[in-house]
Formats: sequence, structure tokens, C-alpha cells
Amino acid sequence: MTDCGCDKAKAELEEFLHRELSAQDLTDIQEHLDSCEDCSGEHLVGLTLTQKVQRACQEKAPEELRASILAAIDA
Amino acid sequence: MLVLDALAAPGRAVLGGIDSWPMADTALPEPTPDELRGLFAEQAIPFMDQLYAAAMRMTRNPADAGDLVQETYTKAFAAFRGFEQGTNLKAWLYRILTNTYINSYRKNQRSPYQGTIDELEDWQLGSAESLTQGRTTRSAEAEAIDHLPDSDVKEALQSIPEDFRLAVYLADVEGFAYQEIADIMKTPVGTVMSRLHRGRRLLREKLADYARERGYIAADTSTGSKK
Repeated sequence: MTDCGCDKAKAELEEFLHRELSAQDLTDIQEHLDSCEDCSGEHLVGLTLTQKVQRACQEKAPEELRASILAAIDA
Repeated sequence: MLVLDALAAPGRAVLGGIDSWPMADTALPEPTPDELRGLFAEQAIPFMDQLYAAAMRMTRNPADAGDLVQETYTKAFAAFRGFEQGTNLKAWLYRILTNTYINSYRKNQRSPYQGTIDELEDWQLGSAESLTQGRTTRSAEAEAIDHLPDSDVKEALQSIPEDFRLAVYLADVEGFAYQEIADIMKTPVGTVMSRLHRGRRLLREKLADYARERGYIAADTSTGSKK
């Protein structure tokens, strides 16, 4: 097992986060993160960013809107 | 709900197949208008909260977001007979939402970036890498971001260029694959990746600013030396 190194990991962290890598690349980067504090810290910031955005963007459609859309398709 | 029962029946493996849902004018029985309405209510209506949340990020106000979602559902319902059952309904709805937004709403908003945002150089979008290099540890940065109120996150999102914001929203909130985002935004995957990367970077910088303002991160007292 050879470490893929910081350059590859940093370059592909965002794709790693979004699961847009091949299985092999995912494994390589995961292994690198397990042993590199710098890169795993960078990954943590990216992950936190994603989770914050997810949580902040929850909305509930207003009841009037729901009623109006349902009425429109029932017409 | 005859159609629903038939679709749910085990062994109906054709569901995802190309010919499973004839567009029109074929020999296979078409769903009646009532059946179609039932399918639509069951499959498409549950996405309303998500579509509204996306519309809020696009239009930035509840009245326009409501209108946009209403228009999206009206169009989706009118086109629903052509939707191929078994394919990704959520992506289909987002495509309609995004098209509707771009055609009906965006042209009303004057954005100085319109059409050129992807060509801007990174330096034109603001300085990068200013925060983490030498001033604070990454774990401190992550913790500070984590403490920010939702209102700051929304404000930061609103502040970044629209195409970047949408890419970030579709990837990070909705979890669409890059290819799906490319289809929704009608742009190559490479452009999606670039928008995503730049959008997230701007967002991160903005949130770091907010965190500093709120005192979650020590203000810059370093002498500017970078590690």
C-alpha cells in the first residue's frame, strides 16, 4: 500500500466529498486521510461546509402554496 | 389506482426499461387522466418542500419562490405523461424548476456577472487561501463554521454568484451527481466542477469572515507571514 500523497488528495478532496471518484481513488484518498492530519483537517472543513449548507437550506413550503398546487392539478 | 397497483406489482421488471412507459400513441394502455393525476400526486408532490427550498435560494424571496414552484408544478404536470417512469423524477423536476427560473425570473434580475462568471479569473473573485494559512488551524476553522447560525450561511450563499450558488446547492444540499447537475444546468461536467469549486471556496471565505466578526476565530493578529 503506497500513500497517494497530499497533492493528489488535496486535488481530489472535493470529488472525494461528493463521491465522484472511482472506488480505487476513494480508497487511496481515504487511506491518505487516515494518516495525514493536514489533509484530514482540510477534509473536515469541507465536510462541515457541506453539512452547514444542508442544514441551513431546509425549508417548508407554505400551506397556501401546497393547497394551491394541489387544487391546480385537481382541476 | 389501477396503474399504481400494476407498477408496484412484483415481477414488473420493465419499470425502468426504455419501453416501460410509452410516450404516447402506442398500443400499450395509457394511464387515464385520473391515474396520471394519482401518480403525480404520489410521486411529484412530495418534492415540494425541497423545490421550494431551492426556489428560495434562486429567487431570494418567498413570494417569487412560491410563484416559481407553482409554475414548475404546473409545467411538470402538463408534461408528466412524457416522463419516463423509473428514471430520476427528482432530477426531472429540478430541470423544470431551473429552466423556469432562468427563463422567467433571471432575466428580470440584472447581474453584472451574467454570462461571464465562468470566465472570471480566481483573483477577480476575491483572494483565496487567506484564512487557513498560518492564521488558524483547520480544526478551529471547521469548529467556527459549525457554530455559525443558519442565517449567516444563507446570507453567505446569497452573496456568491448565482451559477456558483446553484451548483453548490444542487451538489451539497440535494446530493445530485455531477452529471445530473450538468444536465440540470445544461453545462459540461467540467464547468460544474469549476463552479462548485469556486462557489465552495467563496462560501468558505465568507463564512470565515462571519466567524471572525462573531469572534469565533481570532482576528488576524499575525504579521502576515504565511506558513
